[in-house]
Amino acid sequence: MTETGHFALVLAFALSLVQVALPLLGARTGDARLMAVGRPVAITCFAMTALAFAALVSAYMLSDFSVVNVFENSHSQKPMLYKITGTWGNHEGSMLLWVLILTLFGALVAAFGRNLPATLQATVLSVQGMVGVAFFLFILMTSNPFARLSPAPIEGRDLNPILQDVGLAIHPPLLYLGYVGFSICFSFAVAALIEGRIDAAWARWVRPWTLVAWIFLTGGIAMGSFWAYYELGWGGFWFWDPVENASFMPWLAGTALLHSAIVMEKRGALKIWTLLLSILAFSLSLLGTFLVRSGVLTSVHAFASDPSRGVFILAILVFFIGGALALFAWRAQALAPGGLFHPISREGALVLNNLFLSTATATVLVGTLYPLAIEAVTGDKISVGEPFFNLTFGPVFAVLLVAVPFGPLLAWKRGDVLAVAQRLSVAFALAALAGILALLFLDKNAALAALGVGLAFWLIFGALTDLAMRAGIGKVAPKAALRRLMGLPRSAHGTALAHLGLGLSTLGVIAVVTLQTETILTMKPGETVDVAGYTLRFEALNPHRGPNYTEDQGVFPVFDADGSQIATIISSKRLYTARRMPTTEAGIETLILSQLYVSLGDETDDGGIVVRIWWKPLVTLIWLGALVMMIGGTLSLADRRLRVGAPARPKKAGHAAATT
Amino acid sequence: MMVFWLILALLTIAASLAVLLPLARPPRSHAPAAAHDLEVYRDQLAEIGRDRQRGLIGESEAEEARAEIGRRMIKLEATRIAAAPRTSMLVPIVTACSVLGVPLLSWGVYTAIGSPDLPAQPLAQRLEKDPRDNTLDELVARAESHIRANPQDGRGWNVLAPIYLRMNRSGDAAVAYRNAIRLLGSDPARETGLGEALFAEAGGIVTKEAADAFRRALAAGGDINPKARFYLATAQAQDGRLEDAITALTSLQNDLPQSSPWRGVIGEALARAQAELGTPAPVAGGPSRDDVEAAAQMNAEDRAAMIETMVASLDQRLRDNPADAEGWRRLVRSYSVLGRKDDARQALERGLKALGPESEAGQELRDFAGTLGLGAVE
Repeated sequence: MTETGHFALVLAFALSLVQVALPLLGARTGDARLMAVGRPVAITCFAMTALAFAALVSAYMLSDFSVVNVFENSHSQKPMLYKITGTWGNHEGSMLLWVLILTLFGALVAAFGRNLPATLQATVLSVQGMVGVAFFLFILMTSNPFARLSPAPIEGRDLNPILQDVGLAIHPPLLYLGYVGFSICFSFAVAALIEGRIDAAWARWVRPWTLVAWIFLTGGIAMGSFWAYYELGWGGFWFWDPVENASFMPWLAGTALLHSAIVMEKRGALKIWTLLLSILAFSLSLLGTFLVRSGVLTSVHAFASDPSRGVFILAILVFFIGGALALFAWRAQALAPGGLFHPISREGALVLNNLFLSTATATVLVGTLYPLAIEAVTGDKISVGEPFFNLTFGPVFAVLLVAVPFGPLLAWKRGDVLAVAQRLSVAFALAALAGILALLFLDKNAALAALGVGLAFWLIFGALTDLAMRAGIGKVAPKAALRRLMGLPRSAHGTALAHLGLGLSTLGVIAVVTLQTETILTMKPGETVDVAGYTLRFEALNPHRGPNYTEDQGVFPVFDADGSQIATIISSKRLYTARRMPTTEAGIETLILSQLYVSLGDETDDGGIVVRIWWKPLVTLIWLGALVMMIGGTLSLADRRLRVGAPARPKKAGHAAATT
Repeated sequence: MMVFWLILALLTIAASLAVLLPLARPPRSHAPAAAHDLEVYRDQLAEIGRDRQRGLIGESEAEEARAEIGRRMIKLEATRIAAAPRTSMLVPIVTACSVLGVPLLSWGVYTAIGSPDLPAQPLAQRLEKDPRDNTLDELVARAESHIRANPQDGRGWNVLAPIYLRMNRSGDAAVAYRNAIRLLGSDPARETGLGEALFAEAGGIVTKEAADAFRRALAAGGDINPKARFYLATAQAQDGRLEDAITALTSLQNDLPQSSPWRGVIGEALARAQAELGTPAPVAGGPSRDDVEAAAQMNAEDRAAMIETMVASLDQRLRDNPADAEGWRRLVRSYSVLGRKDDARQALERGLKALGPESEAGQELRDFAGTLGLGAVE
């Protein structure tokens, strides 16, 4: 099975070469037969890669230590789930997952792209094939997961204990689906540049791919943040770590792409800008892969730092980003520009959104690469952390958030800010009220917290206002309004939900950053401590044995103000036996939307133990908000209509037609 | 193996067909891209009609949208020229390369980097094969998987424990001995083994826990149990109670039969303890009980003379029969204990020459000399 998988991988590489050459040649010469090769080859290429991946997974499940990759990253005593997820919990395996998803997207374009013009589909598949060739070559030359070992050792070296978690089953696949999903947008953009024309429905074809990538990337980032939160033992949800930034940048660019693609789809404007964003979103994904996989950064993600790999990925990076941008510079002028619009309009609002998102992306990019550049040039290690991002990214993003509720309410082509502001007055009043309540009841000195809470509620109520206005609530009978609300296009619900989710996440972030409390103390069995109105008692430290680790479990019953027990938090310190590596397993109790977070420190000589307890108000909203965003994206994806932007202001219709 | 190559051949055929079939089929005519655009605009017009019917947009909005789409359609008419297929010399070349390339490249690359002759080796299968074909590691892993499934099997632990000890997996050995004792009860062999495992785990220190185990082994009675007594004496020496250690070792030596393999080790320990105390050791290699008794009754001068004689006889014996690693160790130590450093060094050199400086025995001798403070000989 293992060697069959190895052969299938080589075969997939050979097929991806064909996928590059024949369809492109066919598209350039107008040869329909050559173009027709693209589809079956893309699908077969995916099938072969899937076979290779299945072979590797099966080697992990069966603990076949004659495979170097399995020997280095698995252990026969690991629970089955972690054996399977361990497949991509290492460099080679994760690269195989990367190409698996890449070929999957290629196969999807081949299978569901029948409505595309033949030349466009062929060119897209060819560009997708080029990315595939580069990564297959990378895997086969520097990171072969099927390298063998003879004689085979009897036991593996086990997986990094931090990665032995359900998070590994969810976070990397989601993240890769997001990263690699943008490769389709990239391929469509490059194909349009190669063809020298943008089809009428280009944006409509690209939109579902952008949405899919964006949904998965949102989920992947949220899951990564949640995982770091509960696993690393100090309750942070975002560290501005370069690896996190590497996933955040494509998200920002992808979000911008999502919005500019709406303008392009509905109004035919912003075509060239949308092409550029498609290229940038995937370029930033590649940059992320390079930063994480090259060993430039050291973190839990840097499984192996081998300089030859870094150079190889750098070459891939230069080829695709440089090539695409050069093509862009050369061909973009030839493309027909799109329609015109008034600055104050839905289009204008979306341009504003794009400007802010691009600026935000740039600040993150600078903050991520600057320390690396400094280190490369002068050898000094500097750290660009939270303060930098709070000063640069923070204000840019805050202004963007203030503007968000206006966008969906503005009319296409030309809008009226005052009218929109009038409609948003209720939302504004409610948000202000929330801010004032926060100031009065939570912390009288936290002006910033109050502003933040107000901003979050502004987003939430703004999104609801959008739906209410479209449904005509207050104007028509409640029954009719409800019917209209249900009858709204799914993309309208999607937009509102995504913006609502953004508000929820913002609320969670603001609440945790400004209102969380931290208690560090030494506790002996029987002692109690009061945190945020709850009482925790340290009962005992009990030894416990897991399948491949031993641990000391600290047991903390939690009592509410009345003294009745509402929960028991178990926080532990683990020792993974195979690698002799200790980890902390934080004990977390969710109380409505907030959480108590207990982490154990060192034991003291007199029988006590250092305990850190955090009160994290509304922390779950951070990830619930992301979930709501994903649901919004999915609803929007389900909207199969052809969307044509109909100008919304009937009274001046004649005038509008004349100016377009 | 045949099946494996067959699968590879089938995969290759499948991949080649994916390239060949579309090439073999007659080309389907495809509409120019502009026709697609027109289709999209028609769809958009129909969509506006539907939206209008459902009341989602007003009549004038619909009118304006229709007008805009109409303008796009007019613009499109100007560019609607279907491109005629061009012919290119490249087409047949690239096509031929692709068709041939898939099998050639895949088999070429795979032969270069694959390991077709290495079958998959799932752990469970390796452990299930005939035990005679298993390596020691595999046998241990088999026993481990058995014991993991039946953790209450005391006999299993009892078998596994000494093997762990021999494999230098002292931590696992200690756990195994503990389980065996818990399930089968205490007995001198298990307690001694536990003590030994703990001794190894602690890096050569007889910890209190280990000493307790040895004591339990001795308390259970039975034969002399030189191992437990030796380690207890070592514990005394490590505590700095050298006289007690010497007494214990001497009495142990006296209890042991002449042929016991322990005598050598005990003699060495005795010599070490005495060297630390400052009294020269009666050199092992054979000082019989009579010799020792005789030495005890001599005065210091006579005793020294007797020792010198014995060392000289050892020296001579090694000249005749140099392939005796143990003898060389004894000689080096004896000279060293007697304070004759130069002779000790010389003996080391001769020993290394005789055993071969790079051989395992030579290496051990050099390490041993190192513990006596004799530097490595260049």
